[in-house]
Amino acid sequence: MTSLTAAARRVLVLRCPDWLDGAAAGNGAAAGSGAAAGSGTAARAFEPVVAIVEAFCPQVEVLRPGICAIAARGPARFFGGEAELAAKLAEAVCLGGFACQVGVADGLFAAGLAARAGPTGLLVPPGETAEFLAGHPVTVLDLPELCELLPRLGIETLGQLAALPPAEAASRFGAQGKLASRLARGLDPRPLIPRPAADDKSVQMEFEPPAEHSEPVIFAAKALADQMHDRLAAAGLACVRVQVQVRCANGQELSRLWRHDGLLSALAVAERVRWQLDGWLGTSGITMLRLIPDQLVRATGRQLALWGDSVITDRVARAAIRVQAMLGHDRVTRPMSAGGRRPAEQVIFVPFGDAAVPDRPPDRPWPGQIPAPAPATVYQAPLAACVTDSSGEAVSVSGRAQLSAPPALLSAAGGPPRAITAWAGPWPVTQRWWDPPCACRQARLQLVTEDGAAWLAALQDGRWLIEASYD
Amino acid sequence: MGAEIAQVISLSPVRHRDDVLAGEGLLPVLPALRELLPDGGLRRGSVVTSGDWGLLSLALVTEAVADGAWCAVAGIPSIGMRAAVEAGLDPGRLLLIAEPGPSWPQVVASLLDGFDIVLLRPPEPPSAQLRHKLEAVARRYGSILVLAGDWPGAQARLLVTDAEWTGIGVGHGRLRARRVQVVSSGRGAGERPRSAWLWLPGPDGKVSAAAPAAGMSAHDASARRNYLIDAEQLVSSG
Repeated sequence: MTSLTAAARRVLVLRCPDWLDGAAAGNGAAAGSGAAAGSGTAARAFEPVVAIVEAFCPQVEVLRPGICAIAARGPARFFGGEAELAAKLAEAVCLGGFACQVGVADGLFAAGLAARAGPTGLLVPPGETAEFLAGHPVTVLDLPELCELLPRLGIETLGQLAALPPAEAASRFGAQGKLASRLARGLDPRPLIPRPAADDKSVQMEFEPPAEHSEPVIFAAKALADQMHDRLAAAGLACVRVQVQVRCANGQELSRLWRHDGLLSALAVAERVRWQLDGWLGTSGITMLRLIPDQLVRATGRQLALWGDSVITDRVARAAIRVQAMLGHDRVTRPMSAGGRRPAEQVIFVPFGDAAVPDRPPDRPWPGQIPAPAPATVYQAPLAACVTDSSGEAVSVSGRAQLSAPPALLSAAGGPPRAITAWAGPWPVTQRWWDPPCACRQARLQLVTEDGAAWLAALQDGRWLIEASYD
Repeated sequence: MGAEIAQVISLSPVRHRDDVLAGEGLLPVLPALRELLPDGGLRRGSVVTSGDWGLLSLALVTEAVADGAWCAVAGIPSIGMRAAVEAGLDPGRLLLIAEPGPSWPQVVASLLDGFDIVLLRPPEPPSAQLRHKLEAVARRYGSILVLAGDWPGAQARLLVTDAEWTGIGVGHGRLRARRVQVVSSGRGAGERPRSAWLWLPGPDGKVSAAAPAAGMSAHDASARRNYLIDAEQLVSSG
């Protein structure tokens, strides 16, 4: 166990109590440095602090507004020791007008605790993290269920938890127990993810007088793209997408995102600007063109297939992108199978050029699916319908999935009523009851009408809907 | 609209011969559909209609896509992707433009340039002039326009005339398969109407040839045998 702890990475955590709710009350000296409500505002207000920390170490991970972490080993070597690094960092941040605490320890969790340990934080020497942690109560783990259970079993401190064999902790307390055991022993639950530098890599050009034709703008776009690529390359970055922003003489701003993946040449970027300008018919008098690299990632020099796994020929990609320029990025899609019980849930439409993973995997059983054959027409918004019995009464379904009467007439979307010649069901389905906005209770029927058409009808909240048709 | 289509054509004046598929000129269709089409396949540069939107429209393009063709589907937001996959269509080679919008002819012209097949349901009936323009674009790029809807002047017109679902009764069973009669007519001289019986879809969602409905098969022993085999498959798959 000791050897594992010794192998852990040294982490420095900088903590600004002003941003953190609980601590702000205790630390009456809230300097009013902009700890506003709303996490977006808070994140922006925290930016200056991150910028100061970045001067010490370029790879800063913001854990949440108010707390950030850096890997301590490198900067400590440069500044002549961890204590010196911590002192210099605290001084720099204080000079910037922010109160802060700095903790250094093995692993992120211990470093976070060390930052909270004193008025200015604590430096836990290498290898002593286990002893430092041992004295803390298990409640610092921030795992509510476990923190309630462990003291009742006589495990009051992290030291006692660390003394349990990790395999036993995992088998007795599950995934949370495994995580808790790792933390108590001074191990990281996950590695640090460096945050790329936030400075602006966008490039722009003004047109005075406004450019009436698209040609000069496209010409300028090529030069701008070259400039943007140079800037990114100098920082060792690549962008996943590039945003093209155009301002017109009448004040209108037009912007569109293009997939880049670090693979587009300056000419290809200029070509996209051309498509974009062509797509906006009537655009004239352009005063400004700006290219903004979006989603910066470290340039790895890896050549990815531009559109995902299956290789798309240039000809197909060009046609698709041209149509995207006409209609908009998300109006041109590729279908992807997803899991679900209702036909409309079984596919998601991913904008061309984007990668997506369905949050409902299709390779799960999904009991309650209607078996094959699947309907050829699936209404994204189900059609309102009317299913009545031979006496003209609306057909209803009881809680025990019994029909009130055999269905005799179907009228879909306000159309004329059609006689039902065959039907099957009802098949009830109740899904996502734990998630009220997506919860759904349905009884489904397959209906064949006199004209030979087959329908999938569903009764939901007392209303009949046509979900799909099988023609 | 004609001017914009002309602009699309002028943007890429070169026909990309290098990535035209093998078997130039004819894209394959499912075996069951072969005898319905004048050339036994989809002729490049031609227009084929499949009646109103339905599984037949998907079945027409399935085999070509499996053979490596790219297909764009325009104007059909309610496409049933699971049915398409069950029929054997590879969703990885599809591009969907659910709402091509008011400038749809320009969109279709762009798609005809890049894709081997464009499956289209026009948002509004196109004028004769517009039809001729798009036919010219398809001919120029050697792509195929498959219509879910009407298109006077199409090289081949397929239509489901007779359909019957099996497997479902009054209050029991479920939809298992649909036997349909598809009638096709061509434009050329001497073209006589052809017809075929298909499982559209069959019990596994696939599209295959079927024997004629029971009444018509009485005089044809082999067809009747096929029908019995089909019926057996239906029962065993249930």
